[in-house]
Amino acid sequence: MGNFGQDSDIERELHRVLDSTLSAAIPAWRAPAGGGVVQRILGSAAAALTLKVATGIAVAAAAATFAGVAAETAITGSANPSVWGQAVRSQVDGCKDKLNPGQHGIGECVSAVAKTHGATVSGNHPSASPGAKGKDQGAGDGHGKPAGAGGPANPGAGGPVNPGSQGGGKGPNHTPGKP
Amino acid sequence: MSSARALGDQDEAGPAYEPGNEADFERLYRNTYRRILGTLITLVRDRAAAEDCAQETYVKAYQSWKKWRPDAPVEAWLHKIAINVAISDRRRERIRTAGEIVRRLGRPIPPSDPSTLAERSDLVRALKKLPTKQAAALVLRHFHGYSNREIAAALGVPDQTVASRLAAARQQLQATLDK
Repeated sequence: MGNFGQDSDIERELHRVLDSTLSAAIPAWRAPAGGGVVQRILGSAAAALTLKVATGIAVAAAAATFAGVAAETAITGSANPSVWGQAVRSQVDGCKDKLNPGQHGIGECVSAVAKTHGATVSGNHPSASPGAKGKDQGAGDGHGKPAGAGGPANPGAGGPVNPGSQGGGKGPNHTPGKP
Repeated sequence: MSSARALGDQDEAGPAYEPGNEADFERLYRNTYRRILGTLITLVRDRAAAEDCAQETYVKAYQSWKKWRPDAPVEAWLHKIAINVAISDRRRERIRTAGEIVRRLGRPIPPSDPSTLAERSDLVRALKKLPTKQAAALVLRHFHGYSNREIAAALGVPDQTVASRLAAARQQLQATLDK
């Protein structure tokens, strides 16, 4: 064993063995990737969760859309929404034809058609909840044009016939020409 | 004789370091790597381990670079990190060595790599047997030429503690070398 009784001996020996490190090659510095381990784990978990939620919403929306389209297509025989509107209008026109000039009661006919249509659509819609069916029924004021006016009846408040409607007759079936 | 320069002295390093500045960190790395490696070679089992510890030191320093306060000597701060890394490495090494001894029972111990000067030095071998903070105090004092106050800053202890650690380290070192 060496003799390192003096501080100078320790210094001399340390320099003898360590001075080579002072000329050693310095490896290139590469900054570590940002974020700690926990942050990376949490980040990936959050990303996975977000993706799952987004996928779930997208699948549910697609299913609802497909179900609605399928139901309307089954009823009208067409995938075109404008055809569905025409089908409803023709049903209303059919109701009008059944009435004599000046006769009231188109509301009941339209309501019956709408009820049948709504039941068919709801039956084909997997996500329809029973409580939601006909939720807004009766909200319309039931205004209908007199048969003599020639225009289509307007069973709701300015909207087309509401699929699933059951209560068109709840509102006053006001006819301007009524004495 | 020493590689002495004050811990906070930046004449070699150029302008003052700015915390959080990437370019300044790279400059700090280039200016201090060899001295940090020199310290670590005396504290951990071999040069390869010292190089790993040096890299770990700079990764930890990089992660805290934004929090470094320029009023503290930057090399003292780096040494503090390096010494803690060395303490952790020694702890891991003790666990690893215990497992190795159990596996090697009955087999001859392979000779260590003779190409490394530091590993063949009695003094360095004795330093590795000292408590890490005592060995670090000796190396900072006798290889880097730091004052007790600078060592105190590096180790995060009062000046008096450094003085007593140095005295204890010299005594234990001599006892080890005399065996």
